[in-house]
Amino acid sequence: MKQTSDTFLENASAALADSGKSQRRDLLALFSPLMRDAAMGSFGQFEELRDHVRQVRQHSLDHLDHYLAQFEQQAAENGNRVHFASDGDAMNSIVLDICQEHRAQRIAKGKSMVTEETGLNDYLQRAGLSVMETDLGEYIIQQAGETPSHIVGPALHKSAAEVRELFLSRHDLGERDLGEIADLVGEARLVLREHFLKAEVGIIGSNALVAENGYSMLVTNEGNGDLCANLPKVLIICTTLDRILPRLEDATAMLRLLVRSATGQPQTCYTSFYSGPRRELDTDGPLETHIVLLDNRRSEILASDYREMLQCIRCGACLNHCPIYAGVGGHAYGWVYPGPMGSILTPLLTSLEQSTDLPNACTSCGRCGEVCPAGIPLPDLLRDLRHEESERKLSPTRWRWGLKMHAWLARQPRLYHALTAVGIFGMHLLGRRRGRFASLPMAAGWTSQRDFPAPQGKTFMQQYSALQRQQQAAADAGKRGGRSTRRPDPRRPGTRRQDATRKAPAGTGKRAHPGGPRGKKPRRRTGDE
Amino acid sequence: MNNSARSEIFARLRHACQSAEAENIQRALPPTDSAPGAPLPSDDLATAFLTNVLKNQGTVECVANRSAAVKALADYVYRHFRSHRLVAGNDANLAAMPWREAGVLPRFGAIEPGEPVALSYALLGIAETGATALQTGKANPAVNNFLSEHHLVLVDSSRLVATMEQAWARIRQEMNKSGRPRGYNFIAGPSSTGDIEGQLVYGAHGPRNWHVILMGDIAATALEDARALAGK
Repeated sequence: MKQTSDTFLENASAALADSGKSQRRDLLALFSPLMRDAAMGSFGQFEELRDHVRQVRQHSLDHLDHYLAQFEQQAAENGNRVHFASDGDAMNSIVLDICQEHRAQRIAKGKSMVTEETGLNDYLQRAGLSVMETDLGEYIIQQAGETPSHIVGPALHKSAAEVRELFLSRHDLGERDLGEIADLVGEARLVLREHFLKAEVGIIGSNALVAENGYSMLVTNEGNGDLCANLPKVLIICTTLDRILPRLEDATAMLRLLVRSATGQPQTCYTSFYSGPRRELDTDGPLETHIVLLDNRRSEILASDYREMLQCIRCGACLNHCPIYAGVGGHAYGWVYPGPMGSILTPLLTSLEQSTDLPNACTSCGRCGEVCPAGIPLPDLLRDLRHEESERKLSPTRWRWGLKMHAWLARQPRLYHALTAVGIFGMHLLGRRRGRFASLPMAAGWTSQRDFPAPQGKTFMQQYSALQRQQQAAADAGKRGGRSTRRPDPRRPGTRRQDATRKAPAGTGKRAHPGGPRGKKPRRRTGDE
Repeated sequence: MNNSARSEIFARLRHACQSAEAENIQRALPPTDSAPGAPLPSDDLATAFLTNVLKNQGTVECVANRSAAVKALADYVYRHFRSHRLVAGNDANLAAMPWREAGVLPRFGAIEPGEPVALSYALLGIAETGATALQTGKANPAVNNFLSEHHLVLVDSSRLVATMEQAWARIRQEMNKSGRPRGYNFIAGPSSTGDIEGQLVYGAHGPRNWHVILMGDIAATALEDARALAGK
């Protein structure tokens, strides 16, 4: 897939100018969090389950060499051929070789972000194969010649009317109405059923690989992935190393979070575990199965300070809760993975130079970190990437100098307080009459879109000190007057998080809350070549 | 080339991992029972299961024994298709049903394109998720679960479990006895999609209807309670 992350700002401006699509994004950004919250609310023990799943994921990554070897052995025992691919090209060529070995012409494909990452469809099509995406969303964007805008709902950027136009022009089925969404789904079912029955090779992804017995978990609502896994004579599972979990129970514990976080359902319609080719007495199922395990820099990420990103379970909750994603949509990010997880993965899987804007596409609101079911400190990782941009002089000189000056000033509290007091008082005098500023020097980015409220005269620290003095005076005068009411709010997710049982590898420290200081020096992976 | 990719990947992983002894790794793994499950909608297992099946947009029936089960199946098929034709895998449990009593006999085998109804005998019913667990193989070809329009699943009440952890414990016992089957399908609803404008539509690629028949000694009020709890 051609990457356009380097023009994020232009992409974003273009996206914002399309008001129809903006409205649809606003609706999704409103409803997806509500569905997720309702699902988590009725589940009840989100934090406890998240802690458990995070520990299991971290454990699996800490011992990935062990579990990968175990999985490989078990999968081979089950009759699979297991392949390793260092990068996307290697995965693509392994898959093509298998298809050509079987003289396959027709491929039925289940939804797989990994194969989007490697550009598998293009690769196979260039070799003359016919590749049909079978997930409805993927099918729609394949027919439209587009790329996914969301990792769970790839075609959510399209309206029903657009899909209707698309189907009318792509399917030669005569006069028909297609006025309802159900009609569109019915037509796709009809058209794709043919492809399922004719395909010689099925390609699917995997939501989890179970080390103890070599099973691979597949989670769908449509059942298309299962048709790909069961009808064609050859099945190829394309996935990555970091999907490995130790036990069957770990896969389904993760599933409890995955489904609720992704769609707000308590359970997807189909959750399947496949071990390999058909058994001796079986009457159906593939005769040959392959598992292709892609690395594509994941082993480097594992060795870096960004290893927590490998805990990601691809639920899309961080996208649904991100104000930037809601504003600009998935295509603006310019590669396979959008939103907060994409703003971290894209620089790590491609290069920071190609995607400098992505870690800055963040308001530091912390919502992604709060809802992440894998407990990934997404805001921290985004900030670390921004720090790395600064260190490597990838961010604009103006920003770096500005930040340096601010950092210096912030380390001189007296001077800082004095200067801010003067500044705030000055702005208070200037803005007293209208109560707001329509424009401010050096802050056009803010005031071009909205007014800046005029300060009330005193800084926070001045008011806070005054309050403290008042309370002290009251305490001195009265009996039990000035008892402090300040205590940490236990509902804040960051303050509750505990890493007590975790045996951390070197360099992963506890952190106080998303956005707070990480307990380590920002030593980064070195090469982005 | 593939081999060199394998050794390179393992070399990189060993560099990034803790390279502990297998025993110590095993010991450091958090126990499975520290994962909380979803609360059940009822203390009665059958009621909880039926409630979640209904919430998953399945339809349900309860029958006391095998005679009542075949009658319910025959009625269902006749009601929808004015025929008594259905397909079922070569499952000994299904073969032993008193089909004659209801004047219906399934074709035993894998579904062919165009056949609208398939019947499966569930390995387990899971109350937590409202799912029916099916095992692939001669007794239940996986295509029967996915290619039919109506998928009927017979669940014996002795095969109900509360949580996924309990389901795996039962499955492990089977696996130790008779080896690993090619696959397990946990089915929790008719096929659905929300891929167009996020609007949920049933009947995507798999069955449009999923009908669960719970058979056995079930509390008389279970179904009624489940409908009330599911709001159906």
